[in-house]
Amino acid sequence: MAGYKRIRVPRNTWNMWLWGWFLVAPTMLGLLILNIIPIFQTLYLSLFKSGAFGRGNQYVGIGNYERLIADAQVWHAVANTLLYTVLVVPLSVALAMIIAVLLNGKVKGTSIFRTIYFIPMIAAPAAVTMVWRWLYNPQFGLINYVLTQLGLDPVRWTTDPQVGLISISLIGIWSIFGYNMVLLLASLQEIPRDFYEASDIDGASKMQQFFIVTVPLVTPTLFFVFVTTIIQSMQVFDVIYMMIDVTNPAYERTVSLVYLFYNNSFRYMDKGYGSAIVVLLLVLIMIITYFQLKAEKKWVNYM
Amino acid sequence: MGIASKAAKAAAYLFLITGAALMIIPLLWMLLTSFKTVAESTSMNPFVFFPSVWRVDNYTRVLNQNHFSAYYVNTFLMMFFRILCSLLFSAMAAYAFARLQFPGRNFLFGIVLFQMMVPTQIFIIPQYLMVDALGMRNSIFALVFPGFVSAFGTFLLRQFFLGLPRELEEASKLDGCNIGQTFLLVMLPLTRSGLVALGIFTALFAYKDMMWPLIINTSAQSATLASALAKIQSAISVNYPELMAASVLAFWPMLLVYIVFQKQFVEGIASSGGKL
Amino acid sequence: MKNRMLRSTLVMMLSLAVMTACTTNGGNQPENGQNDPPQPPQPTETNTNTGEVGDEVTLRYAVWDANQANGLRVMADEFEAANAGIKIDIEVVGWSDYWTMLEAGATGGSLPDVFWMHSNEIYRYASNGMLMNLNTYIESSDQVDLSKFPQGIVDIYNFQGNQYGVPKDFDTIGLWYNKTLFDEAGVGYPDESWTWDDLYDAAKALTKDGVYGILAPLHNQEGYYNFVYQNGGTIITDDKQSGYDDPKTIEALEYYVRFVREGLSPEVYGDAERAEAIQNGLAAMGFFGSWNLSGFTANNFMAEHFDVAVLPKQERQASIYNGLAHAIAHNTEHPEEAWTFTEYLGSKEGQERHAELGIAISAYEGAADLWVSSNDTFNVKAFVDMVAYGVIRPYSNTTIVWEDRAYESLRAAFTGDVDVEEAASNAASAMNQILAEE
Repeated sequence: MAGYKRIRVPRNTWNMWLWGWFLVAPTMLGLLILNIIPIFQTLYLSLFKSGAFGRGNQYVGIGNYERLIADAQVWHAVANTLLYTVLVVPLSVALAMIIAVLLNGKVKGTSIFRTIYFIPMIAAPAAVTMVWRWLYNPQFGLINYVLTQLGLDPVRWTTDPQVGLISISLIGIWSIFGYNMVLLLASLQEIPRDFYEASDIDGASKMQQFFIVTVPLVTPTLFFVFVTTIIQSMQVFDVIYMMIDVTNPAYERTVSLVYLFYNNSFRYMDKGYGSAIVVLLLVLIMIITYFQLKAEKKWVNYM
Repeated sequence: MGIASKAAKAAAYLFLITGAALMIIPLLWMLLTSFKTVAESTSMNPFVFFPSVWRVDNYTRVLNQNHFSAYYVNTFLMMFFRILCSLLFSAMAAYAFARLQFPGRNFLFGIVLFQMMVPTQIFIIPQYLMVDALGMRNSIFALVFPGFVSAFGTFLLRQFFLGLPRELEEASKLDGCNIGQTFLLVMLPLTRSGLVALGIFTALFAYKDMMWPLIINTSAQSATLASALAKIQSAISVNYPELMAASVLAFWPMLLVYIVFQKQFVEGIASSGGKL
Repeated sequence: MKNRMLRSTLVMMLSLAVMTACTTNGGNQPENGQNDPPQPPQPTETNTNTGEVGDEVTLRYAVWDANQANGLRVMADEFEAANAGIKIDIEVVGWSDYWTMLEAGATGGSLPDVFWMHSNEIYRYASNGMLMNLNTYIESSDQVDLSKFPQGIVDIYNFQGNQYGVPKDFDTIGLWYNKTLFDEAGVGYPDESWTWDDLYDAAKALTKDGVYGILAPLHNQEGYYNFVYQNGGTIITDDKQSGYDDPKTIEALEYYVRFVREGLSPEVYGDAERAEAIQNGLAAMGFFGSWNLSGFTANNFMAEHFDVAVLPKQERQASIYNGLAHAIAHNTEHPEEAWTFTEYLGSKEGQERHAELGIAISAYEGAADLWVSSNDTFNVKAFVDMVAYGVIRPYSNTTIVWEDRAYESLRAAFTGDVDVEEAASNAASAMNQILAEE
């Protein structure tokens, strides 16, 4: 703050600064204590071979990172994580957008549909895994029963290495869809009716209206949806953790970076290496988000 | 109405209904299984869709062996305080990030974004140590702890504030409002749908948070629905009818909350939309 | 209405915040950095973990098996009644989260007072001084006599001459079989005379009509480890080398994997899938540890159709066996009370009660017989009989790490992608690499 005092700041501007600082203070303070300090501890820890219970850490420099680069499993996890994100994000956002637009129109039973589409969001992670594991069960599951009734071969949903990640992604789309839809719907409903009326007078077709009026106006929300769902997908963990054991033949093809981090930090008690894996994940997410923020100016339309 | 638009409408309904069916089948299956016997749930020949008798045995067993009333209360209180904190602090910070110019703004917002990128699992042990140092394990405070502030909420509401026309602030400035008054009286009411959306998401994330309550609240009475469900799963392993009954018990309050909030949500949107 | 309430609450709270800001600052001069940190909501539940009311001491007792919690609660109640002033607070956290919780507690200096310890983890906790040395307590105790416990289990919890745990129970692995299917196929029930050939023939005879004869999952303790030792092979040698490249070990693995490759066993991997397969009648035989007993007893299908026998033999008889112990935190605030409770749990009286209630097989000499009579659904005596030739579950300082590495290598043999010998040699080199770093 002292640095700014030397510059002559107009009273109004000064006032705005103070308000700005005041308003962000609680959040920043909370984040600092709850999150930022632990993040720096993690960064720091990634340079150590961790001793037990936070003691006797041995400095190894970039040793953990060297090990990480040579570790094929880490690169499998990177590929799995990215593939999962590519499978889940575009599909769930596109579907959510279509459904949101349909529901925003004059459709009967909007509120029932909205409830149904939102329902998967409300299921607790343990419940989601339970019900899907039961649906995916190769012998007793509903899905394989339906497939065999249709004359198709049953599928080993969770143990076939070719299928495992797709099964996990289906659950991902199913779970995240409602989140996207609610946000997009909220944003669609904020669009003033007059905008549509104006374009009606211009004689625009429904399709044109969608691209000329609707899409540009929901871009701030769409941007938010993309940024957050990509981050969430990159951090996929719960479902894989509860469904795929290390003994599973699909493990190599489904293990995600967070799962690998979790196993190393909490199962093998190798916190230094686990931290290095988190740092790798962070770097990946930061790169992706950086490009998204760059692109924000190009396609996101703020009033 | 022309034939084309009628056909389009029919197609739209078909799409909506198919999608809805896919969304709800897993949960209907959960509900149906919860009333079956183990034998019915695993019978393949014939395949059993509906239980022969709608028995509630699974529910009574699960209820008798657990403290569901405590889980409901704990979960509700955790959600309530997390919503309160995240709405209040996030709205304040979000407005500042969206509309005010001040030194360090971009840097601080960068921190907010950065926090979201970090997998929450790395916070478990540090936050455990903090709560433990305060002597607050096995309490509602412990459940709320990681949710005092919300980077997600700050980012979400910032987007909503950014979507509001600038003219409104200029007008309120002319009316003699200071920044706080403008924020509170003019801008905040306009982001009501954003606030409701954040409320819903905060409630959901809190409700779904499994690992934190499992580790911080270990006594029998202090579990939340999600952590209790994980414990039940590890205890009764693969008795699917009972597991599904437990899932349904954890599920219905959230469904109820959502249905109540949904009405709010829609009303909130309708009124703010009209003012623009 | 609710809508308005939400709004007015928010507005009120915010106006409050703004007003404070305005008044303290007088003329628009808020002082940055002086606002209070987020006010935590008041806890509404009393926090009992360190609570001392008057002279009363509350001990935290952490366990990971929810199925044992009810029985342990009964014991704790009886203990409380007999020891005025000590309360026991049982905390149940499932297996994998249990170790995360304990890790956090150990790092932060707030371990539970008394808790379960396992062979996989004892080294880390003992070698880092997280557990209380029980030597002097045991020496001066007239209730705990370590010679009454199986030596193998006592040794697990002994580190450099110091005893860090009092044995609680032991477990062995049994051969569970579906009596109904055996009767239908005209196959005699398994008993102690069964050899590998008998097992194989039975599996073959029982595989029909969509039911598999046997369940041979990719699992060590409840799977191939038993066969390795029956064949005279080993998993880890005395000088801490992998036994996966031992020809006897490979032979046993080949025998075991054959069940899967020949279609006598379904390809089953995860723990949940294993339990599903046996409890839903997918397989006529399976290997499951004694700790599954309460779950199986409660399952109507299992109770009606299944029974349990000792494992078959090859070169010798063997069953993997392991045992838990009660440990005390090194820095407990109540060492005397924690010992009193641990002492009770490890005394003849406590161990017999533990058996009677059917909590788990008590490790104390003779107490296991009481456990046998606690269950009349299955022939649970088989589990106790196997102790005579039980082999302690292989362990070292980094057990979990090399166990997972071995799984990763052996997976390919179960799916048929590589032959057993190659998979085993991969497992051996991965395991040796980990052991070399110990």
